[in-house]
Amino acid sequence: MTDYGHDLMFGTFVTPNAGAVDLAVTADRAGLDLVTFQDHPYQPAFLDTWTLMAYAAARTERIRISGNVLNLPLRPPAVLARAAASLDVLSGGRIELGLGAGAFPDGVAAMGGRKLTPAQGIAALSEAIPIIRDLWNTGTRERVDHRGEFYQVSGAKRGPAPAHDIGIWIGAYKPKMLALTGRLGDGWLPSLSYLPNGAASLTDLNARIDEAATDAGREPSSVRRLLNLMDGAEPEQLADLALTYGISGFILATDDAATTERLAAEIAPAVRDLVKRERG
Amino acid sequence: MSTEQKVREAETAPGPVVLTDEDGGLDPWTAAVWLAARNDNLRITLPGAPAAVSSDMADKAMDTLTALAGPRVSTGDNPSRFDDLPASLVKFEPGDPGYRGRSSTYMRGGRPALILRPRTPDEVAEALAFARRHPELQLGLRSGGHGISGRSTNNGGLIIDVGAMNDIEMLGNGLVRVGPGATWKQVAAFLDKYDLALGSGDYGGVGVGGLATAGGIGFLSREQGLTIDRLRAVELVLADGTQVRASAEENQDLFWAVRGAGANFGVATAFEFEAEEVTEVGWAQFVLVSHDVAESLKAYGDVAREAPRDTTVFWLTGPPRQGQSVIQMYGMVDSGDADTIIERLTPFATTALLAQQQVVVARYADVMAQAGDVGPEGHHGRGEPVARSGFLPELTDAFARDVAELLRSGQVFFFQLRHMGGAIADVPAHATALAHRTPEFSVTAIGADRRGMDEVWDRLMAKHFDGLYLSFETDQRPERLHDAFPAATLARLRELKRRYDPTTLFRDNFAIVEES
Ligand SMILES: Cc1cc2nc3c(=O)[nH]c(=O)nc-3n(C[C@H](O)[C@H](O)[C@H](O)COP(=O)(O)OP(=O)(O)OC[C@H]3O[C@@H](n4cnc5c(N)ncnc54)[C@H](O)[C@@H]3O)c2cc1C
Repeated sequence: MTDYGHDLMFGTFVTPNAGAVDLAVTADRAGLDLVTFQDHPYQPAFLDTWTLMAYAAARTERIRISGNVLNLPLRPPAVLARAAASLDVLSGGRIELGLGAGAFPDGVAAMGGRKLTPAQGIAALSEAIPIIRDLWNTGTRERVDHRGEFYQVSGAKRGPAPAHDIGIWIGAYKPKMLALTGRLGDGWLPSLSYLPNGAASLTDLNARIDEAATDAGREPSSVRRLLNLMDGAEPEQLADLALTYGISGFILATDDAATTERLAAEIAPAVRDLVKRERG
Repeated sequence: MSTEQKVREAETAPGPVVLTDEDGGLDPWTAAVWLAARNDNLRITLPGAPAAVSSDMADKAMDTLTALAGPRVSTGDNPSRFDDLPASLVKFEPGDPGYRGRSSTYMRGGRPALILRPRTPDEVAEALAFARRHPELQLGLRSGGHGISGRSTNNGGLIIDVGAMNDIEMLGNGLVRVGPGATWKQVAAFLDKYDLALGSGDYGGVGVGGLATAGGIGFLSREQGLTIDRLRAVELVLADGTQVRASAEENQDLFWAVRGAGANFGVATAFEFEAEEVTEVGWAQFVLVSHDVAESLKAYGDVAREAPRDTTVFWLTGPPRQGQSVIQMYGMVDSGDADTIIERLTPFATTALLAQQQVVVARYADVMAQAGDVGPEGHHGRGEPVARSGFLPELTDAFARDVAELLRSGQVFFFQLRHMGGAIADVPAHATALAHRTPEFSVTAIGADRRGMDEVWDRLMAKHFDGLYLSFETDQRPERLHDAFPAATLARLRELKRRYDPTTLFRDNFAIVEES
């Protein structure tokens, strides 16, 4: 039994095409907490996810918005930090930063990004996160300098400062990425269907994150556990994921307005009830 | 004023707004997108292209915003390369929003220096005047962007894109007037309301402009003739900018030339076709498996040859896998009667081992509607297509054997026979610039490697053919011109080319050039 005690969040995972803005508006009106978009810029049929996020943020009022997850090799940390903070300011603190090391190296290369091996991808991500946080930190006037293997920043001015503490949520599956998530992440954002043994895998994967967090002197609960649900969601299943596996963010993949509304109106309240009863 | 204040004010301002890039301030691109979404009428000028890892990513961001909000955001720092652009013309240069989605076509990647998008014949004339002033720019014409032989994109050249001229209008008596930028899917949907149809090809996404100036071998051709045979009048802007109408009554020479070699003579701005009554049709898709592709091909040929005009079935295969060929057939019976449909199609379905079949009664427009729509980013072809074409007078045993060898070579991943005959052959050879009227089939192959493809094609296929359908031919060796146009046709075309396009302005698609 693991429960990190976070409030539950419910959201959708939307294909970044022409219908995505309407689906974000639907999710917002329905009262969901979160709408997220996958990021595959090399896929010609898809829109640019960052542009879509900014557009959707401007068309919605309350809902939080995140990439799920943004492709780091195509979105350099300095650009990303500034864009995310800007949108957080404009949207009144509604932006979260779902981030991944970037799959599909050939697609990345085709769009002019650097082709990285999986190991390089992880190294680049652990370089990028401190740069992003540094640029967000306007508590000091000192300029940001970073000479890394993947990223160079010289004398960059900090800012803008985000309107709230933007969570960096990491898409991770393998040990090294899980360790990075525990060390540097504010959230973990995998997809249930990619876990080797489904939900049962979560115990072990959570433990790896917990361990890395503890080693870095952090509370395991400082890493929120979110989960993409690619094949539907039922209240009992989600309540079990929350109480047994510590999942507190449920993101349902759907491009359907009715399903989005049902998630908000029926499933989310039912799960909240079940979890509340157990947590007491 | 900070960018943030400026953005807050612009959210409700009538516009326009010029964003700046201040150190430590808001990201101008994110601010621009936010504003475009908040204020529907605002025009926004950016201090530069979106910050991004590459120009492709920056272009993608711009194109996304254009798709979501219309072309309301421009970069202040993308001055035109040209100082003599006609001010009224819609244009796209690298870096302009919307450019990326228009740089490639369905089959081909490219990066033109300039795309002009005229909306009227007068604007076409202006675009052509610009083209004449810039002989250094390779000129390509574009309507629906599905060209294969037609280089409707290029690298560093000029594209005149008439895609916006896509009106469709009913003139009465079955006559329909269509702009070159319409797609055949749109034409079919329009005519469907009148229980009419007009044959085009097998793919509804293809544009009117490219197909109706070249031929049009489709599912109704055996009954109605080629698409060019249904053409009653065409309006063109010639190389010197004059606007003409050509029909059986006026400019007969041009009317003749447009029907098969149109891309050499002008930019077609409107077509008037005579459609015919078509209501329900039988639509079939078969997948067959064959261990002897030559035998199956011959059997198909025998059935197709005997088929009545209301029946048209195309044949398609790729390289065999473990000695086994997967054959796809798809075709149409112009009848809504289930028994007739089954009777016509059964012989085709038994030319190899039937693995899957789907036969439905549908509207012709439904069949055309299966083609995908072009997404927000436009076409995304890459590289150069490698396609070869031939008109096959007779599907002989020797041809079938050579096809089997061709397929084994691995050079061809798409090999197709389009069923001809019937009404196509009713038109005399000299009546249109497309003179090859009597083939049994139009044969098309697509490969990946130019040299390898040409080698097997020249060795195995060429001897079986009499001529080629230019729309599917990408080989640019000079002999191909003679394959497309028999001697008498070519002589007349050369004479007309000298008269109407003496500087060979139009040369993106089987350019009629003098013998060197
Ligand atoms: C998937 C697919 C299926 C096809 N199936 C068939 C088929 O079944 N039967 C068939 O006959 N053909 C078929 N074709 C070939 C098609 O007819 C040609 O490629 C045609 O040129 C495409 O027209 P477009 O307007 O879409 O092309 P574009 O790319 O816009 O233009 C291609 C060329 O046509 C010329 N052109 C375009 N517009 C004009 C104009 N307004 N005035 C003068 N010339 C112009 C130019 O030379 C230009 O380079 C198919 C093509 C594709 C890609």
